[in-house]
Amino acid sequence: MRAVLALLPLLLVPAAARGHEVLHELVPGHAAGLRVYESDGEPLADRAYELWSPSDARTPWQSGRTDRAGWIAFVPDAPGAWRVKVVDPGGHGLDTTVQVAGAQAVPAGPPPAGAGFALRPLVGAAVIAAIFAALFVYQRRRGARP
Amino acid sequence: MHVPDGFLSPAITLPAYAAAAPLWALAARRHLGRDAADALPVVGALTALAFVVQTIAIPVPGGTSTHLVGVTLLALLHGPLLAFLCESLVLLLQALFFGAGGVTVLAVNALAMGLLGPLAGWAVHRLLRRRAQRAAAFLGAWISMQVAAGAVALVLGLQHRIAPEYFPVPFAVSATALLVPSLAVTGLVEGLYTVLALALLRKADLRGVA
Repeated sequence: MRAVLALLPLLLVPAAARGHEVLHELVPGHAAGLRVYESDGEPLADRAYELWSPSDARTPWQSGRTDRAGWIAFVPDAPGAWRVKVVDPGGHGLDTTVQVAGAQAVPAGPPPAGAGFALRPLVGAAVIAAIFAALFVYQRRRGARP
Repeated sequence: MHVPDGFLSPAITLPAYAAAAPLWALAARRHLGRDAADALPVVGALTALAFVVQTIAIPVPGGTSTHLVGVTLLALLHGPLLAFLCESLVLLLQALFFGAGGVTVLAVNALAMGLLGPLAGWAVHRLLRRRAQRAAAFLGAWISMQVAAGAVALVLGLQHRIAPEYFPVPFAVSATALLVPSLAVTGLVEGLYTVLALALLRKADLRGVA
């Protein structure tokens, strides 16, 4: 009888162990995501990032590394402007804010390295050429004055 | 190579502007005035070319990429102050219209990539050009890239030391990430680009090419 009474507490062990069990649930539609990539479409994979909620600008809400496609996913606690900072050890990177209105569905897949990227060198070169051409004409006119 | 907005604190960006502002004024007076008008078409074309080569990403191992600077050529032709001015213009356009770099860090990037690098390249070229002109140009451009990358690494390392919340990567890591591609890839390509462009310009015998 004593032995039975001594073993009785063992029946409570599973109940205590429950406190240490890790569970999970899948909640669709709660996460926001953004993808970071170079101007040529190359993803910024495995880069350190920090993310700040609009409700607390001092302590990062989340930090980690981008996945191999350059994605950062998080579950926002508040709508508004979330600051995200992605750091490349070489000094490149991103420090920007993204607007979150509830959870946002972000289209997957790499963005096309489109006309914006292709036109960038041409637009820049054209602007520089225009600046120097204007300067050249102006100095020539100044030089022609008696 | 150039640092974006938000990675450097005002403790670094403001002194950089204080150092750069008088140099911009001096460079503009010396190289954009009436006496320099003849050189402006070539200088403009080479600045536009520098903008173009900076948008071309050169992939390097480790999933990242780097790019040329392209203004050492201007330093060899007209001196490092003009290279500084032209690189500053390139960086300003990139910051304002293309989201590369930034306005708060413009002076830091311009001093590193537009002045310190080209100044070192110009000095090396002047020292060696009588012995071997092409080798001097190549070495000058190669050194220019190393000095520019080293300067950016030092600034990022200093930032990490004084306020790591701006740039959380330690100096050793950022210096390696900047200098390895520069030593192995970018310096060589910048050297070849400079030698080739210099040869073509001298062959063309344009006004404004020293």
